[in-house]
Amino acid sequence: MLAIDYLDKRLKKKDTVSNGDAVSTDIEISIRNLNVSFPDKDGGEPVNALQNINLDIKQGEFISLLGPSGCGKTTLLRTIADLQQPTSGEISVRGLSPREIRLQKKYGIVFQNPVLYDWRTVRRNVCMPMELMGIPKKDRTARVTKMLELVGLMEFGKKYPHELSGGMQQRVGIARALAIKPEILLMDEPFSALDEFTKEKLHEDLLRIWKKTNKTILFVTHNIQEAVFLSDRVVVLSPHPGRVSAVVDIELERPRSLEIKNTPEFNEMVVKVRKSFESVY
Amino acid sequence: MKRIKKFFQSNNLVTLVWGIGLIIVWEIGAFIIEGSKRSPENVLPHLYQIVASVFSDKLVSNNQTAIQIVMSNAGITLFRAGIGFVIGAAVGFLLALMMNLVKGVEKTIFPYLMIIQMIPILGMAPIVLAITKDINKSRIVIAAILTFYPVATNTLAGFKSVDPQKHELMYSIAASKFEIYRKLLIPSSIPYLFTGLKIAAPMAITASILVDTLQGGGGLGCMLSQSLRHAMSIYVFWQIVFVSAIIGILSYYLMSVIEKLVSPYKRAKIKG
Ligand SMILES: Nc1ncnc2c1ncn2[C@@H]1O[C@H](COP(=O)(O)OP(=O)(O)OP(=O)(O)O)[C@@H](O)[C@H]1O
Ligand SMILES: [Mg+2]
Repeated sequence: MLAIDYLDKRLKKKDTVSNGDAVSTDIEISIRNLNVSFPDKDGGEPVNALQNINLDIKQGEFISLLGPSGCGKTTLLRTIADLQQPTSGEISVRGLSPREIRLQKKYGIVFQNPVLYDWRTVRRNVCMPMELMGIPKKDRTARVTKMLELVGLMEFGKKYPHELSGGMQQRVGIARALAIKPEILLMDEPFSALDEFTKEKLHEDLLRIWKKTNKTILFVTHNIQEAVFLSDRVVVLSPHPGRVSAVVDIELERPRSLEIKNTPEFNEMVVKVRKSFESVY
Repeated sequence: MKRIKKFFQSNNLVTLVWGIGLIIVWEIGAFIIEGSKRSPENVLPHLYQIVASVFSDKLVSNNQTAIQIVMSNAGITLFRAGIGFVIGAAVGFLLALMMNLVKGVEKTIFPYLMIIQMIPILGMAPIVLAITKDINKSRIVIAAILTFYPVATNTLAGFKSVDPQKHELMYSIAASKFEIYRKLLIPSSIPYLFTGLKIAAPMAITASILVDTLQGGGGLGCMLSQSLRHAMSIYVFWQIVFVSAIIGILSYYLMSVIEKLVSPYKRAKIKG
């Protein structure tokens, strides 16, 4: 399915909804004709990291950005997070600019690598964003404990980042982002450094948290199975220049458990997503 | 066995070999000079003679033994160097903060800092003396001048080498400039600050001793030039030489110890 098709479908859906206002507030992030290019240092052609991206993300939606290395997944995430400025085009989040949303401290970001502060213990790393948000100390402590429990690092709270393995460090980064209960959670390949067991456990945990909090999650991955298992919709990106080549609705029942991976429906979805790749390459 | 093996692999062995080597060279020198008969013992006495002089209770001058004189003057020198060092470190840190905080400050004042740094201490001393009109204040000021430059440059390098992603994390939660400094830039520049402090501490002491030699008023350098003029036992001279070296080295280690106290994650690194 092409992006345009998706938009058409969405517009058709809109017709069936009686209250127009409800629809407009329903859309959390709206991306219109977005272009991001990086100037070439040697004066050559600029790199088109993203070209003419159009995408609407609904409030409470779990959406994945899927694509091979270098197709602009991180760039798209960073542009939404106001860490990267668009060359042209527009992003609006709840009718505001990414910058305004950032200043309201509504984003939670998990970076591609852990980005921990090496002079802080694990606990104090998870605590850091909450300190900036002015959350009282008592609540912070309780929430840190809860988050560390969630990512399975209860016994490691007093350790320093360099005393942890790479996967454990990444989990600290995840706990840190979740701790502030962000309205919009942006995750850049958060699980790619983890082993299969931890990954599956965190998949389930993430879905549970998501269901409970009803927050919007934008999830970057290059793993088709992961994207299918987690998402409502998978946005397939293709490189050079980075653009949306397909948007696939994942019509699988929720809540999803790991068993779903053995069902023919699941495999069907995986095949469908993979096909949308093949049509590009 | 394991412990012995570990010892031979460690730096201790290197230090030990160097120590023994120096002692051997020294003693060979002392024996040759002793044999030449022309030179009196005070050109290069045996090490045991110096050690003995430390414990001797022979009064050398002003009813004090050699070691008493050396230690009281070491105290004076250390006090001045210490005050200068603390002032210099504070000024250096604030300067680094300013240079990082306000655009243009770095370009404007950095060349001057470098020039100040390039003037030899003994050339600087008369200028500082003319300004402060007091030799003791000058000694403190010069120790401070020698301290602030390595502290400022290293701290500034620390601010600049912060991982941009750590900065972005702060930015993404809309941290204020103050919070970014307090929670990110300053903590992550601490190792750099201490690199500066470790360079500066022995330098402040050296400078203090050197400026001591210019005029009276006590201090190791003062005693050093007096002892050279044979105003007192030659062993005072040698004791000063050794005490100076030792406090220089100790000042460096003191900085390392403080660094480990203020950055516990480094301790964990060494243990692990
Ligand atoms: N800061 C930058 N300066 C110049 N070019 C950049 C910059 N950041 C990204 N690019 C270019 O933009 C393109 C997309 O990069 P991006 O990091 O978004 O890819 P990605 O999909 O996240 O890849 P990966 O899966 O490897 O993380 C790449 O061709 C890259 O070279
Ligand atoms: Mg990426």
